[in-house]
Order: sequence, then structure tokens, then C-alpha cells
Amino acid sequence: MGIAEETDPSPLLLAEKVQKVYRTGRVVVHALIDLDLRVDAGEMVAVMGPSGCGKTTLLNCLSGLDSIDGGRVLIDGTDLFAMSDVERTSHRAANMGFVFQAFNLVPVFTAAENVELPLLLTGVAQQQARERAVEMLDRVGLKDRAEHRPGEMSGGEQQRVTIARALVAKPAIVWADEPTGALDTHMAQQVMDLLCRLNREERQTIVLVSHDPAVGERASRLVRMRDGRLESDGREVLTGVDGRGLRPDEQRPGAARAG
Amino acid sequence: MYPNLTPTLLALLGAAFAAAAFIAIRKPFLRRLALRQVSRRRTEAMLVVGGSVLGSAVIAAGLIVGDTLNYSVGQNAYQHLGPVDEIVDSSTLAAGAHAADLLAPLKHDPRVDGLMTVHMEQTAVASGISRAVPRAYTIEADFTQAAAFGAAGGPSGLSGTTPVPGQTVVNSDLATALHLKTGDPVTLYVFGQPVVEKVARIVPTRGLAGLGESNSDGTAFVAPGTFAAAAQAVPGAQPRTLTLVSNAGGVTSGDKLTASVTAEIRNLLGSSTGTQAAVQTPKHDVLKAARDAGNGMGSLFLFIGSFCIIVGVVLLMNIFVMLAEERKPEMGMLRAIGLKRSRLVRSFLIEGSVYALAASVLGVLLGIGVGRLAVVVAARIFRNGAGGGNSNSLSLVFHFTATSLVNALAMGFLIAFLTALVMSVRISRFNIIAAIRDLPAPGIAAMRTRTVVLCLAGSLLAAALSVPAVVGGRSVALYIWPTVAIMLAIPVLTRFAPPRAVYTATSFAVLAWTSLANTVRPHVFDTNSTATYIIMGCILIIASVILVSQNQETLLRPFRRGIERPTAGGLTARLAVTYPLARRFRTGALLMMYSLIVFTLVLLSVLNSMIQGTVSQGVSFATGGYALRLDYNPATPPDVVSSLGTSPFAGRVAAVAPLTVAPAKVQDLGPHGLGPANVTVVGLPGAVTRGDGFALMNHMAALGPDDRSAWRAVASDPRYVILDQYVAVQPGPAQTLYTSGDHVTLVDQATGRTEVKTIAGVMKTSAAFLGIGGRVAYPILMSDTAAKSEFGAQAVSSAALVTPAAGVSETSLAAELQGHYLTGGMVVTPIAQQVRQNYNATLGFFQLMQGFLILGLLIAVAGLGVVMVRAVRERRRTIGVLRALGYQARWIRGAFLGESALIATEGIVLGTTLSVFVSYLLFRNNAAFSGYEVGFSVPWIATFVITGIAFLASMAATYLPARKAAQTLPAVALRIVD
Repeated sequence: MGIAEETDPSPLLLAEKVQKVYRTGRVVVHALIDLDLRVDAGEMVAVMGPSGCGKTTLLNCLSGLDSIDGGRVLIDGTDLFAMSDVERTSHRAANMGFVFQAFNLVPVFTAAENVELPLLLTGVAQQQARERAVEMLDRVGLKDRAEHRPGEMSGGEQQRVTIARALVAKPAIVWADEPTGALDTHMAQQVMDLLCRLNREERQTIVLVSHDPAVGERASRLVRMRDGRLESDGREVLTGVDGRGLRPDEQRPGAARAG
Repeated sequence: MYPNLTPTLLALLGAAFAAAAFIAIRKPFLRRLALRQVSRRRTEAMLVVGGSVLGSAVIAAGLIVGDTLNYSVGQNAYQHLGPVDEIVDSSTLAAGAHAADLLAPLKHDPRVDGLMTVHMEQTAVASGISRAVPRAYTIEADFTQAAAFGAAGGPSGLSGTTPVPGQTVVNSDLATALHLKTGDPVTLYVFGQPVVEKVARIVPTRGLAGLGESNSDGTAFVAPGTFAAAAQAVPGAQPRTLTLVSNAGGVTSGDKLTASVTAEIRNLLGSSTGTQAAVQTPKHDVLKAARDAGNGMGSLFLFIGSFCIIVGVVLLMNIFVMLAEERKPEMGMLRAIGLKRSRLVRSFLIEGSVYALAASVLGVLLGIGVGRLAVVVAARIFRNGAGGGNSNSLSLVFHFTATSLVNALAMGFLIAFLTALVMSVRISRFNIIAAIRDLPAPGIAAMRTRTVVLCLAGSLLAAALSVPAVVGGRSVALYIWPTVAIMLAIPVLTRFAPPRAVYTATSFAVLAWTSLANTVRPHVFDTNSTATYIIMGCILIIASVILVSQNQETLLRPFRRGIERPTAGGLTARLAVTYPLARRFRTGALLMMYSLIVFTLVLLSVLNSMIQGTVSQGVSFATGGYALRLDYNPATPPDVVSSLGTSPFAGRVAAVAPLTVAPAKVQDLGPHGLGPANVTVVGLPGAVTRGDGFALMNHMAALGPDDRSAWRAVASDPRYVILDQYVAVQPGPAQTLYTSGDHVTLVDQATGRTEVKTIAGVMKTSAAFLGIGGRVAYPILMSDTAAKSEFGAQAVSSAALVTPAAGVSETSLAAELQGHYLTGGMVVTPIAQQVRQNYNATLGFFQLMQGFLILGLLIAVAGLGVVMVRAVRERRRTIGVLRALGYQARWIRGAFLGESALIATEGIVLGTTLSVFVSYLLFRNNAAFSGYEVGFSVPWIATFVITGIAFLASMAATYLPARKAAQTLPAVALRIVD
């Protein structure tokens, strides 16, 4: 394996021989086939591949949103699927944040209420949760929209609320499924800037799934999938000699321009 | 029921079908779109049909109950009267013979197919020493003539040979009452004289064999000459002579000729009409009463059922809104590729027609079952209470007519169809892009200026109509028009102020007006109509629901701390209250359903309890201090006043009041001109009118300050009468149609002479006089002097009221009197017992109504269940996100259950509170409860049981959707849309 594994023996995420099979009547689809993946803290990993290759399934399985049919997934050394549903849910609340293509904000909550939700789920008192939520909204440039509901915001604003919600509880890992899929180029760039900044400045581990090459280019590591398997892993190429993820502008020519 | 409505309903049904068919044929792609939606979305289709079914079922059940009553009473008439359509009744043999001679030309009248003369007398009949009945009828009839009476081949009810002296033919009623069989000896007390006969045959109580007054114990047919022989021992005694007329046609169709044949009879009798012979049309009268009773009962059920129907419509609206939510992207695509909004509406209309048709057909079938159940319960009530527990109480025979089924089908279809139409128009308005992307609608579009102007015009018109309603203190209008004026002002007001403030202020205004209108117009409650209170309650509910659904945050503020806690309970509660707060229309609709049904159920329960609380005092009011009523044969009237003062009753009777009784009719009763209706004139002696009398509901203020003044006026002035509150009033929702001070025209049935009387007072209950003289008719009370002078020979002394002496049991005195005077045909009725039975019947009907309303509760609970099932689908993505973020499955389940609990609790609290408030106003102001020394009380246990059942049913209906929501896998939920 790569250098990072040798320098850091306890990865944040370790997936081994993960299998996922969908059965619909007589049709059996092997969505993930003996898939191995390791993600270290502070990495920004982009999973790319053609439509239907299993990117979203991978994200769902590694985050514990979906069950697996074989293998194991360790988060900080803890086997995600050895836990009960209740434990896994609590674990998710404490350690993970999510960003979805369709934003998936709770439509009947305001922006502040959406963002404070992960904090409340981890036992933070209401007032404190609200303060931190507003602070987080401020960081994504939406402090003045705190009391607005999702239906009253643009797509880009909603996605920024989603990012704020994903990050507010300082999770160990943020999963982003096509985070720019529903945005125009300008907004997509803004969102990617935000994610890259958080990754760079706060060493926030982010695993994102996308089919957009522009998104892949901005990640510190690029993993390609095809037919349920890892086709290539840019880890060796994109990881610096000190084992840390490289800044986007260190990785590829032209990346700095985009950022 | 309601055959007069059928053509209109069928025309509307045809128009609706034609419209749907026209669209379906003209636009095949719309038809395909609509019909494939039905087959593709079977669950949704079943939900819509299910939601509409109960409404049709309620309508069908109401109409069927009416049919059953109509049919049962009618059958009773046909059974007892058979081919007899008219009776000419003469009190002497000579007058009877003269009348028969005068009527002989009828034999050749093509409108008449039967004419015969019989002699009849009321007699007591005994079998052995232990079995006797006081009110049987003995008839001398020629059986050969009887067999040929009526339409050829039609059953006259009597055949075979005429009994010979010493023999009698008894009908099955009498045989059953006395356990008689052929060959048994039986004693008939003809004019009080024992005549021993042997039972030759027992014939079914049908047709001529059922001839006799209603409430009789049966009939015995004896040999010609029997009366003459018995009369030898009783100088002057004569039987009544009845000339029976059968109209051409069958037993049922002959009634159509009643008017013309009766006119001909009067014509032939000439001056003998009335003085010598009274013309009666018993079958026509009973059939009319049957129709009135059936229509009344049916309308009462429909009135109660209307709450269920309203709830059903709200449920349907909810389902359609959710259906639209489900199909939003699809509808958005159709609109995007060029489908006009009107065509989308038409497509929904075709689909709605399919649902409406299926629902109305199924609903009618279900309604037959529900109607049958209601009839079974009603029959039990009739057996146990109504009719004074008399063994001859009406027995209900389940029956329904095609007219009722067609009416129910058409009404059910049209309600569902119109709801579908209105909702189609509403849901076809959406933002195409938002719909395609399944995004929340970009806020409510502002109402068009045209609509706002129309609302403003409507508001001003309603305000104008409010003025005379308020000035005149007209009960229902006084509540409705100001409410309409305020509500229609909302669209205008929202242009100048925030919507929530407008809704809050207007609903407050409506609540304030409805609650306090009676302080401004105190006479608004001067009615015994419960309709005023129901309307008032409905308005209060609508205003309260708007107020609550617009101000949920304020209501939930006391619970804020708990909701904001970052604990499992707090997070669950937060989610549970969020949707009701955010979806105000849907929450309001659900609250409306719950509140309406709970309001009505609790109101009935409180009324039930209040009536129970008034029973003992009500008995006292109804009996006027008398415990027993004696009815005896007017042909052999005992001198009750003197005989009850001697042995064996000396010292056992405290007071006796002999009553004069005459049959009569009333017409032009009160301002609505009610009638004509049969009544029994009861002439009261001074002892009754001078005493405390029977309690009145109201009396003429001009006569004096209290009830006594009205009784004094009746005693001294023949122009005044006192009558029951329900004379000529069709059964159904209570309504005030006349009051003291109004006028009524009294008609002497025998002579046709009319006299206008003034109503000095209206009785609370006339139970003490019901059935007097063996007639089923409400009494009209006047002084005995007035009764005798106005009704002459028709006014007979045939009843008396008796008060037992102190310490004497009324039950034992009743038994002793019955035994002592049996041979004279005396019937002793313990009035208090009869009143109690009537109370039981009333309470039984309340329970039946409550049972009927349970259907509405079922609809409300089903509505909540449907909303929750749909909510799980609608919120699937949100559930997925919440689960992804760390919401535990059990919190999701708890949130759904909590949401249901919140809505059900709010609905229950609103409905109960308003019900208690309205029933308190009813108790304080309704004349029916005035004078009772009982406090207002709420049957809390019954209320808790009712509301508890409603709550638990709501939880049960939500449990499965909640569990399904909790079991949703986050990845699966998110995959659906991503």
C-alpha cells in the first residue's frame, strides 16, 4: 500500500473486501465487489466514475447508511457493522456529516434549525447549539438567512446550509454525494471552494462522490471506480512526502486557478 | 325516501356523468391518463374510494332507516285495515242503519269494490280465571259478505262461516294474549255483561280480522244478535255501527281514491254527516303518519349523519391534496410539454368520476348494512320504551326502497364528484419547475384581484343581511351572516396586514360574536330548537380551528423547554410538532374533522346526561300529580268519582279527575300553518285546571305571570287551549314551529265544523294523555265544558286521572283497579311508568345517534391514518436525512405518533370544550330544561371514554405508518430521489 499507511497505522476509515449486492426478483446486481479503501484523517478524497459504477453505494455503505453483504468497515478502528442500528446511528451522529446533491434539508425547519440539528443530536444544549449554528452559517456566508426555510433560498444557499449542517458538529468525516450536482458552475465553484478551504484550514476529512472532473481535480486524492471495483487510487500520486494531503494548488497545474 | 328529490338528483348525476364521458370520449389521451392512473396507483385509488365510501354509506343508512319506519307503519296499517279505506261510524243502531241505507248506492260506484256494515263494541275478554284483557273488540259481521269484501281475489282477512250463537272466531292477537286455542271457552264482557263463547276458529290478524282500534288487545267475532241479547240486561246500551268501504284497487293502491270516495260518502250522507255518522279515513291517516314518521326519522339520521358527511368531504380533500403531492413531478412534466391546466383538471375529473362511482356504489351497499344495524337497535328501543312499552308498539321490519338507494347513490356520487372537481382546480395550480424538481412550492400565490373583489362584495352583502338578522334576533341567521361577512373579508384584509394576524383577528371576532351574541340579543335562544346550538357549535369550531392552526407556536410555548431539550424525548417532540406547525391547512382540516365529531358526540352525551338528571322531576311535571290514568269503555262508563270513593277503594284514592275525550283534527297551526293532523281533544275538569297542573314549556304572557294563569284561562274561556309541543310537527331535528299566543284551527272530524283557538300554553310533555281514548294522537287540552259543547256526542267520558291516597302504592292500586273494572273494559295506565319508558326511549335514541356518529369518528381516524400513510411517503427523503444525521428509528416512530397525538388531542380538547360550552348555553336557555331543579353537569366519565376511544383509535391508525417510517433505511430513502 501507499506511504500514508506506513506512516499512519490507524486510518480514519478502513474498508476491507466490502461487498454489496442488490437483488430485485431474479436480477442480482453486484454493486460493490471486494472493495478495499483506506482514508486518513485530513484527506479530501474524490470518488469518481461513470454513472452506475457504485459511487453512491460505496458512500452509503462506508457511512453506514446502507448495509453491506460482505467485508467490514472500520471507522477509527471501530467496526461499523458490528454495531446495532441504534449504536451505528449514534456513531453517525457523533462522527459523520453529510452533504447531498439534492441538499436534503428538512423543509419545515429554518436554516438555523437545520444546522443545529446535529448538535442537538449529540446532546448540545439548545442555546449553545443555536449559537454555534448561526456561527457556522456565518462562516458559510448565510448568517442573514438563518431564519429562512429551505424553500426560501436558492440552490447554492441551500447547499451551503447543508455544508454548514455537515460540519457544525465537527465530525470526523464528511460524506458528500455529488455536492455540486444540482448547482450551476458558479455556485458549484463556490461550494467546492468552501469544502477545500475547510479541508485545508481545519483538516476536515471529506469523502466526496462525483462524476464531475472539475470536482475530482480539486480533491487531494482521486479514486476511480468501475463496475463496483476500484479502478485506480490516486493516493500514491497525490499524497505528499510527509503523508499529509496536498493542498489543491499543490496537486495539479491549473488547480490553483480554479480555486 | 324523498322521491321528489330523485328527478333532480338523477339530472345532476346524468350531467356529471355526461360531462366526464364527453371529456373522456373527446380527449382519448386524457381518458388514458386518468384511467391508467387508477390502475397504476391502486393503493391511492383504494384510499380515495375508501374515503368517499363512508359518506355514501351514511346517506344510504339514513334513508333506509326512514324507509323502514315508513314501511313498518304502513304494513301495520295494511295488516290491520286490509281493504278497509273508509269507515262511517255511527254511535246508535238506528243511525247506523240509516247511514248504511244512504250509502247503498256506493255498491254501484266504480271507485268502490266493497261495502258492508258491522256492529262493534269494546269489550274485556277473559279466559279462565287468570287471563284477561281489558281492551278487545267484539264484532258482529257477516263472514260471507266479509269474504267478498274488497278487490276480487284479494284477501279480505275473513272467510268461512259466520259464527253461530255460543261460538266466536278470534284473531291471533287475542288468541296469543289469552293463550287461546280452538275449543277453549272464553268470556266476553259485552256492555259489562259476561257472554261465554267457545272459540270456533283462530284467524290471522289481517284485513277485516284486524279491524279494531289501534292499541287493542285483539278482536272477537260473534254471531249476529249477540249484542242485542247482551243489551237486554243493560237498558239503552247499543253497539257502534260501522259501515266499511273498500276503494277499488288493491289493499295498497285503494288509498289513491280516498279523497274522492270520502267526498262521495259525505255527499250521500248529506245532513247525517257528523251528527249521525262520522266519516273516518283510517288507512289514509295512518299511511300519511307513516310517511311523515319515516321522513322525519330519515331526516334526523341525515342531520346527524351530515357531520359524518362533512368529515368525509374533508378527508377526501386531504386525500386529493396528497394525491397531487405524489404526482407533482409527473404533472409538472405534463404541463411543461404543453398540457393546459384546464386539461389537467379534466383528467382529474375523469379519474374522480371513476372513484366517485366506485365509492358511491360500495357506499350504498355498506349503507344497507349500517341501516340494518340502526334498525335493529331502533327496534329494540321501540320494544323497550317507545310507545309506552305497549305490547302493540310498532315492530320495525327492515326495508328499503329503490328510490332511497338511487338517491343515496346520486348524493354520494355528487358529493365525491364535486369535491374532486373543486380539488382538481386547486391542485392544478402549481409552479411547473418546482413541481418537476419536486421542490417545495414557492409560497402561496397572491389571490387574484377579481377574487378579492368578489369576496369583498360577498362580505358586504353578508354584512347587509346581518343587520335585519341581528335586529330581529333571528337565531340561525344571527350567527351565520356576521360570520360569513367576517370570513369573506379575510382576502381583503390580508392585502393590508400579515395573513396570520388577519386570520387570528377574524377568528377571534367570530368566536367573540358567536359566544356573546346572546348577551346582545337575549331572545336568540327563545326557541326549543337544537339546530341553533348545532349551527353555533359548528361556527365556533371553524373559528377555533383557524385560530389554533394559525397560532400553534403560541399554544406550544409552555412546552418549549421540553421540546428544545437535546434529548431523545426533546428531539422526538421537536419533530412531532414541526409538521403540524408548518402544514397549517392540513392540520386545520384534520382538527376540523376531529373537533366536529367530538363536539357532536360529547354534546349528545351531555344532553343524554342532562335528560337523565331531569327524569324524576320530568315525571312529576308530566303526571301533574296524578299517578294513574284509567281508560274505559264509553258505552259503559263507570261513575268513577263516586265508585272510587266507596268500597273497596274508599280511602285508597286521594283524587279522581274524569276526562272528556273526543277525536278531532287541527290545521293552520301556528305561523307555519301546520297540519292537518289528528289530535285527541281532552276536556279537563276544574280539579285539574285549578291545581298546579301539568308543567308548561311556555305560556301566554298576557294571561298572567305563571303557568297557572294559562290553566285558569283554559278553565274559564273556551277560546283557549293548551297543547303538546309536537302536534303536527314531523319527527326530526327539534324545531320551534309554534308557541303560546299562536292560533290553531280545531276541526270536528264528525261534522267538519272548525273553530279557531288561541294557544294559552305549550306543554313540556303530554305523556299523561298519550294514547288516551285508544288513539295514537297528541292531545289538545281544554275545559270539559268547552269540549262537550263543541264536540257534542263525539265528546265522551272515557278516561280519568287518579291520585292514590298517601301511603298507597300506585302499582298495587293499579292492579286492583284493573281487576275490579276489567269487565267494563277499563285499562289502567301507570303514567309515571309510561313517562319513564318514554324517557328511556329518548335516551335510547340518543345512544343510537351516538352510535351513528361513531361512523364519523371512524372517518376522522381513517383521515388521520391516511394523512400519516401519505406523510411517510412524502417525508421519505427527510426521514432518510434525519436517520443519516443520527435520528434513531424509535424517535422517528415517536415523532409520527406524537404528531397524531398532538392533532387528536387538540381536536378532542377543542371539540369537548366547545361542546360543553354550547351544551351549557342550551341548558341555561332552552325552554325544555327550564323549571328543572337540576344543575348543569358534564358526564366526565362518558366524555373521557368517548375521547379516550377517539385518541386510542388515532394512535392505532398511526402506528403502522409510524413503524414503516421508522423502518425506512436511510440509503433507500435517499436513493429514491438522488
